[in-house]
Amino acid sequence: MLRVQNILKTFNKGTVNEKMAIKGITLKLAAGDFVTVIGSNGAGKSTLLNSIAGDFPVDKGEIHIGDCEITGWPQYRRASLVSRVFQDPMRGTASSMTIEENMVMALRRGQSRRLRRAISAKERAYFRQELTKLGLSLENRLTNKVSLLSGGQRQALTLLMATIQKPQLLLLDEHTAALDPKTAEKVLDLTCRVAAENNLTTLMITHNLDHALSVGNRTIMMHEGRIILDLREEERTNMTINRLLEMFEKESGSHIHNDRMILA
Amino acid sequence: MSWQVFSGTFEQGLMYAIMVLGVYLTFRVLDYADLTVDGSFTLGAAIAARLIFAGQNPWLASGLAFIGGLVAGAFTGLLHTKFKITPLLSGILTMTALYSVNLRIMGRPNIPLLRMRTIFTDFGKLPFMDQYGVMVLSLISVLILGYLLYLFMETEIGVALRATGDNEMMIRSQGVNTDMMKILGLSISNGLVAFSGSYVAQNNQFADASMGIGMIIAGLASVIIGEVLVGTSSVKRTILAVIVGAIVYRVIIALVLQLGLGPTDLKLVTAVIVIIALTTPDIKKKIVPRSGPHAGKEVTNA
Repeated sequence: MLRVQNILKTFNKGTVNEKMAIKGITLKLAAGDFVTVIGSNGAGKSTLLNSIAGDFPVDKGEIHIGDCEITGWPQYRRASLVSRVFQDPMRGTASSMTIEENMVMALRRGQSRRLRRAISAKERAYFRQELTKLGLSLENRLTNKVSLLSGGQRQALTLLMATIQKPQLLLLDEHTAALDPKTAEKVLDLTCRVAAENNLTTLMITHNLDHALSVGNRTIMMHEGRIILDLREEERTNMTINRLLEMFEKESGSHIHNDRMILA
Repeated sequence: MSWQVFSGTFEQGLMYAIMVLGVYLTFRVLDYADLTVDGSFTLGAAIAARLIFAGQNPWLASGLAFIGGLVAGAFTGLLHTKFKITPLLSGILTMTALYSVNLRIMGRPNIPLLRMRTIFTDFGKLPFMDQYGVMVLSLISVLILGYLLYLFMETEIGVALRATGDNEMMIRSQGVNTDMMKILGLSISNGLVAFSGSYVAQNNQFADASMGIGMIIAGLASVIIGEVLVGTSSVKRTILAVIVGAIVYRVIIALVLQLGLGPTDLKLVTAVIVIIALTTPDIKKKIVPRSGPHAGKEVTNA
């Protein structure tokens, strides 16, 4: 499904701030894979997701989704295949626009926009039905501006928007990290349910090692721009958080600096 | 204020409201400080005046003024999106270039249109329109254009355009080419501005190379006044607010003139209105209703 072939990415090339964020990553995901991505700050996790989504071109390597090579595609074109949810709940929705307007934009993801009325009555009914599944009573607030919603509500809405038009690949960049624990749990449950229902191929960055092992079917660990660990099946089922931390220290030759990872 | 002065002010307000619709589209919807307006307003006036002076059909001339504005806006959009020039500078570049273009079009600094056939003289020949023809035609025009703009905002493209101004990153990840949206928005905006310029030139019966100076600030003042008075709770309401704001702004200007200030003081008065609006916290809250990453941004932009 997703094939990332030996990609490299350096930021601020030729300046004192030069940083090689990705040092040759090769990654293959089968259709329906739900992969969690862990690693300390600066490991290149977000850079990996952003290069797949097309925020910037990679310096070297190839990215394929299905039968398409998307390495040279601009971001808006990749949207037909990829959808994503960001860490910041503000980034995934347009706050001055209504819930239904936000949803219709997501429903048209990857399609060309035309000069016709954006929302039909049928779609409105569909949105209401989909929102009901969130259990947040948003179905009665279709014409409310998104700025009126809480962070958790916005993130749940963003997740719904990311999957309302089934993507080939779903990218989640710590999408529960900015939420309070209870809401985070709820959004994560929703994520698992939606991914399972639609058999979505998913890449999810998390700082929560418990989630990293309990959610999905595969876990990769990144360090300094490389994948240093790739856990699947039995190896993953038998893994504990403590052993994962030990392996991290062994593989990377350093301690985990990220409190969030240890405390989580 | 005598009735004659008031009706004249009202007519002016309606004509300028077309320009303010354009300013609203860039400043508020696209969140783009577009200074092209000063040049494209004159461009519309210049195109219309030149063609009318040459004996062309005034309706056709006004239509071509609109198209001229579209092109000017698209040029600014291209400078910004393809060549990565900042929004402010892109607008200033086009505005400066247009000053020469406008002089070329007119062939001289100003064109008088006295006793020429204009859309207003045509419309005035209709039954019952001899006295209020200018007002009725302007009112019809601004209502139709305002309604069309509203319909456009509710289309798929319109929704994508609004999202481009609200959260560019989000709408790009939904597969919209935001560069195209900006070019489109700037085009329509400047088309409206130029169209308004053609109306004003035909009503004033002259076009002048410097008639667009300060237009952007006048437009911004109108948008702010309207938003404070009428509110921005929905797209429909905001468009109505913008039209009302344009009229109220003209009334304020007329009152200031009646107080004894000279026409040369108008730009100063306009700037002061905008400064007051942007620095008064209470008003500011009303103009900047958004929360999130955009909060406060508009103020610095403006």
